[in-house]
Amino acid sequence: MRPTPLALALLGLTLGVNAADEAVVDFNREVRPILSDRCFGCHGPDSNKGRKAGLRLDEFAGATKKLKSGETAIVPGDLAKSAIIGRIRSTDEEEIMPPPELHRPLTASEKDVLTRWIKQGAKYDRHWGFVTPQAYPLPKVADAAWPKDPIDHFVAAKAAQVGLKPSAPADRVTLLRRASLALTGLPPTTAEVDAFLADKSPNAYVKRVDALLASPRYGEHLAVSWLDLSRYADTWGYTGDNGMFAWPWRDWVLQALNDNKPYDQFLTEQLAGDLLPNPTQDQRVATAFNRLHRMTFEGGSIAEEFRQDGINDRVSTASYSFMGLTMECARCHDHKYDPISQKDYYSMAALFGDQNENGLLSYHGEVPPPFVRLFKSDADRTKEQELKAAIVAAEKALAALPTPSVANLGPSAPAVPTVHLPLDVFSKTGADNAIANGKPAKFERRSSPEDLQLTPGVKGQGVKFDGDAGFILPDFRQLGRFEPFTFSAFIRFGEKNTRATVLHSTGFYTGDGDATGVELLVTEGKLRWSMIHLWPNSAVSIITKAELPLNAWHRLTATYDGSSQASGLHLYLDGREIATTVVRDTLHAKSRDNALEIGSRTRDAGFRNGSLDEVQLWHQALTAVEVASLHGLDPSTLPKAMQLTHVRERTDTAFQEAWKKLQQARRDLAAHQESVPAFFAMEHSPLAPMAYVLTRGEYDKPDLTKPCAPGVPTQVFPWDEKQPRNRLGLARWLTDPKNPLTARVAVNRLWAHVFGNGLVASSENLGLQGDQASHPELLDTLAVDFVRGGWNTKAMLRRLVLSATFQQASTPSAAAREIDPANKWLARGPVLRLTAEMVRDQALLASGKLVEKVGGASVQENAHRRSVYTFRKRTAPPDNMLIFDAGSREICQPKRLNTNTPLQALVLLNNPGFVESAQQIALRVSKEATDPKDQIALAFRHVCTRSPRPTELTALVELYTQQKAQLAQLTPVAPVEPVATEPKPDPKAKAEPKGKRAAAPAKAAAISADPALAALTLVCSTILASDAAVTSR
Amino acid sequence: MSHPLPSYDGLMQHTRRHFLGASALGLGAMAMRGIMGDAHAAPLPKGTHFPGKAKRVIYLFQAGGPSQFETLDPKPLLRERHMQPLPDSVRQGQRLTGMSGYQATLPLAGSFTNFKKYGKSGIEYSDLLSHTGEMADDLCVIRSMHTEAINHDPAITFFCSGNQVAGRPSMGAWASYGLGSMNENLPAFIVMVSQDASKDQPLYSRLWGSGFLPSEHQGVQFKAGKEPVLYLTNPEGVSPHARRGMLDTLGKLNADQRATELDPEVDARLAQAEMAYRMQTSVPEVADFSKESAATLAMYGESVKTPGSFAANCLQARRLIEKGVRFVQLFHQGWDQHGGLPGGISRQCKQTDQASAALIKDLKQRGLLEDTLVISGGEFGRTAYSQGKITKDNYGRDHHPRCFSLWMAGGGVKGGQAYGQTDEFGYNIVKDQVHVHDLHATMQHLLGVDHERQTFKFQGRYYRLTDIAGTVVKGVVA
Repeated sequence: MRPTPLALALLGLTLGVNAADEAVVDFNREVRPILSDRCFGCHGPDSNKGRKAGLRLDEFAGATKKLKSGETAIVPGDLAKSAIIGRIRSTDEEEIMPPPELHRPLTASEKDVLTRWIKQGAKYDRHWGFVTPQAYPLPKVADAAWPKDPIDHFVAAKAAQVGLKPSAPADRVTLLRRASLALTGLPPTTAEVDAFLADKSPNAYVKRVDALLASPRYGEHLAVSWLDLSRYADTWGYTGDNGMFAWPWRDWVLQALNDNKPYDQFLTEQLAGDLLPNPTQDQRVATAFNRLHRMTFEGGSIAEEFRQDGINDRVSTASYSFMGLTMECARCHDHKYDPISQKDYYSMAALFGDQNENGLLSYHGEVPPPFVRLFKSDADRTKEQELKAAIVAAEKALAALPTPSVANLGPSAPAVPTVHLPLDVFSKTGADNAIANGKPAKFERRSSPEDLQLTPGVKGQGVKFDGDAGFILPDFRQLGRFEPFTFSAFIRFGEKNTRATVLHSTGFYTGDGDATGVELLVTEGKLRWSMIHLWPNSAVSIITKAELPLNAWHRLTATYDGSSQASGLHLYLDGREIATTVVRDTLHAKSRDNALEIGSRTRDAGFRNGSLDEVQLWHQALTAVEVASLHGLDPSTLPKAMQLTHVRERTDTAFQEAWKKLQQARRDLAAHQESVPAFFAMEHSPLAPMAYVLTRGEYDKPDLTKPCAPGVPTQVFPWDEKQPRNRLGLARWLTDPKNPLTARVAVNRLWAHVFGNGLVASSENLGLQGDQASHPELLDTLAVDFVRGGWNTKAMLRRLVLSATFQQASTPSAAAREIDPANKWLARGPVLRLTAEMVRDQALLASGKLVEKVGGASVQENAHRRSVYTFRKRTAPPDNMLIFDAGSREICQPKRLNTNTPLQALVLLNNPGFVESAQQIALRVSKEATDPKDQIALAFRHVCTRSPRPTELTALVELYTQQKAQLAQLTPVAPVEPVATEPKPDPKAKAEPKGKRAAAPAKAAAISADPALAALTLVCSTILASDAAVTSR
Repeated sequence: MSHPLPSYDGLMQHTRRHFLGASALGLGAMAMRGIMGDAHAAPLPKGTHFPGKAKRVIYLFQAGGPSQFETLDPKPLLRERHMQPLPDSVRQGQRLTGMSGYQATLPLAGSFTNFKKYGKSGIEYSDLLSHTGEMADDLCVIRSMHTEAINHDPAITFFCSGNQVAGRPSMGAWASYGLGSMNENLPAFIVMVSQDASKDQPLYSRLWGSGFLPSEHQGVQFKAGKEPVLYLTNPEGVSPHARRGMLDTLGKLNADQRATELDPEVDARLAQAEMAYRMQTSVPEVADFSKESAATLAMYGESVKTPGSFAANCLQARRLIEKGVRFVQLFHQGWDQHGGLPGGISRQCKQTDQASAALIKDLKQRGLLEDTLVISGGEFGRTAYSQGKITKDNYGRDHHPRCFSLWMAGGGVKGGQAYGQTDEFGYNIVKDQVHVHDLHATMQHLLGVDHERQTFKFQGRYYRLTDIAGTVVKGVVA
């Protein structure tokens, strides 16, 4: 608050309210929403900056302390001394709070609430959402016979408070449609309706509900909102928007829902399945929940920026989905409303950033590690274990061999190199004296000839690099992880390069996400030598302990033995091995097979100011003895162990045999693993970067004084120190029965699924800026029941749809229309507009063409599968779905809005899929009945479940009769009438270049040549577009 | 267009009120609240906060990041120092993309094309923009734009929605939400993508999406050809007469449903179906150029005859705003010249220069320019140095978010000026910087909207196009 001289005395005159007449103010329900919305932005929990006047109003101590200005904002019980009162009542623009620039002034009644609250002692309560829910006793209801479930007591009591009585039960057909749509997303078939009507047993409805819950359609329907939350799609979403292999995770969700996996397990496996003891393949697949965020391979993108964006996406998705909190607000500053500090946020980020991963996708489309292999059977999984055991056995066999004598080293000179580049002469095509396999080597320059300079070398000339230009050996390929390899050359480092590529076989490179194959890289003056599948997760790599010597020629030799182990990598300088440390030692798959490039890499730093001479390459790993003798050293001066290795590898046939077996065992495992797809998943790694608070949330501004250990917002709910500080600990924290949010959020979402709106309408936010619960005691009691009942989702849904509340007729009474137009108080049944998926699936089902197959790869709409399987391209989602309020699945979407737009009408009437459904329904009913009236009534039932009312049937029959007459008048020569609504053909249209435009959406064929069938199709199309079709009532 | 058009929302409210008043059901207040939407999910459009000079916007989005050096921001020094390295003192260690960030040298690149002063105002335009230059006295060139993102996807998302993260409403969606349509037969926000552009960087439907706003505010894409709007055309075999019959029947079904269920949402649904029907006539009409004069067509250039070309889309944009569409956004791709810039940008300008100028001229002739805001520009600029190999007459430029140029015209913009200034290397801004948020704030200001007050509460927070920033750039307002 701004300091000000206030004439408080005046205020006393207006505040003379008799305390006895005052209603007692409820802080959580009445006061906090006002303070949060109008005050906390400047006087709230955010301590970083901008807390104005040193005043915080989100806690009693802060609100009642004396401020620097000498004023006190709130003096409990004393209006005259509470500066806040003067401020909210002021008319002076400089004085008034909230300030005019907020554009959200207080209303008179809000001022009254604040005034009464202070007068009554300004009591604070903890935000309800952060207090563990308690079960409440059942309220008494007027009609004791009405309730079927405790739910109904709470609902009827609330309704009575506002003067409403429950409605009569819905008729049975309406109820069956409502329950079927709620639980399976599809309406009942006419046969199901008839069977239900014929079943006179008292538990007919219960039986039906149980059957619906047991149907595989249940998972297909329930999954949709979970897929919205988890931003599941089939493409990566950024530039290029290539396919993302994710549907096995979607199938995991469907299966988990259909199996009724308890919600606490459902949550735990998705957040931390990999951290469970002996995780199964499915549990690891479940963790892809955290990997579904968008990823880019756009050239020039910076990996760390996008790694941070990915982590942020994980944090915000998990917090919306499980906690109903807007954590990501605290990415840049302390949360303005909820008790979540920026440090809390980055502690959560530390939980989700525990991967050894790259922030960018590979340009070449590889599955970004970490990943799990998708074996199809237990037998295949067992085989993997056996193959791993075989490697261990082969390693043991190798180790158990007798030690040979090193008295006779045998030949110590290396073999003739496969490639030798003296680098003495250059012509336009390259180095004329380069030799590969005894023939002139092919040799391509990366850039113009003048960029590679000859420089005096060790033998004749050498080459000096400028950092941008280099050369490629198109015929020399390092053949991957099982192939030994040696590079040797004279090298001269002209500067301490922060980064310089000396040698690699990556091919096209857009960043480290593409680094693959062998790589010799200078980094911060040290030399890193690697065999890579995808950096940094799947690679073996070592780095020199010391920086490299500058400005002098040395012989550098790098060897790799084909073992896929970091221990198989060696670096030598002037014939002697140099000390290194292991950077990475996990190679999971083969690299791409590209030509070797020296001195440069596209979009990467080349070997600037470095020189090379006498480059030699072998398809073989030279031994230390050979490297020494290559440099003219006496091998017998080498350590005994090195001599021993040489003897073993070059002359000991038993060793060679055992090594061959070991390598074969490694190849066998790799072949088995790579025979099935890799699937992205979470994998905790000690190599994950440390998390820091990022200043203003910017990826390149870590505050190194604020490292963040993994953690949670403990002001919301305390951390149990017995739990591991990782994602599994987070899952335990969330599923702790005392956690105030998890069960409430889950139950509220189920409620919204069935009733359209949550008991807390802002189902995505149960924090301070969220909505108040309409039935707080009911929400809390259900949350407690949910936990006590073992987090049983189907049981909870069963209760909801069996409640008397759900079973009411949805038509509002006169009183309800006046008092409760939005049906907040539930004195009538729910009305829902069908979702994009349901509208389409219903039409398909009615047409008889719905292909019911659970799971599998996503498909195009013309496959006639349920919409949950429709291929979702993030940058171009299916138009008809977007038009019906589905999202793009680019980010977590906690709920969809419901709109009415003209484009929806166009979809229902003209979209080829819906037109096709209308045709098929017409065909179907024309076979099921002969009288057009019966056909029409049947079509109506197939789509809308109930029979048409007489007025409806009359209208539809009239349409049929008219249209049939119209169509029959057409001459038989032209069975299909011309489409006159189309714009006149534009004579200029011919000038349009062919093939450049995207193809127009496929047109349905002429609806029918038979006037009767065509007219019937028009009738069916009209039915599909009617309110009775697109709603559940 | 001086006479005020009735607003679409006004019409709709009137229609619905009238409709409800006439019904025997007397649903009264309940009906209104139901139709007008759930107060939590979708507050009523707020309209303008003060009289705006602009009623509508045509945004010519030049996607890919057009180079300012060959178009709107002349830098003689770069020509003098062609192929010499960029001084470290200029770059000051600022962030580069991963494309040129590892380049051993950063050689400066001077524009291959010349600049000339145009009009009374004497503002310089390059020879590639000679037609645009002719309109110099109507245009305000901003040379001091800057943005935050350095890669296409985040940058274009930021420009079109005020945030790099996906999921926020686009500029046009905000305009639709805030101001509504002025024609009940056409959507308020229409998008067109040039078919004659080279598709170097993709576009995404989020760029014209409604984000968390109700989906009715999504941009509707207009395409060249038989079906300008998706699903607009009746299926083959369904005549307009048949469609009328279907809608009449639908009306009867829904009237019966309303009478039975007492649900005002039914009326809203029927009203939307009727509007769809009207769109089936109004859209083909507005897409039909046959009544355009030869002179008008000639002004836009030969390519106006190619449906879907930038020129044709410019003319289409004029026709749409004439009919009361609030926000028309064109996208023209192909401006991403990392290499071979002289050839690439010449082609781009050839595709866009004449038609852009013609659009201004055409609007002006029809008296529409004064209340139509036209903006042309991309998501970021390009570097003063060459990416990759530079020769005497060929070079490329990498992305540069620290400064770039665009132009605005009409709708209350002060024409005949160049606003803001960059240093002599064109690397940093030295005067009057304009952030993307500032441009958005200014655009909204010209429309009569206070950018701080047009908000939408979502997930507990009040969101706006300008997020938590943005200042109206007074210097460009007339």
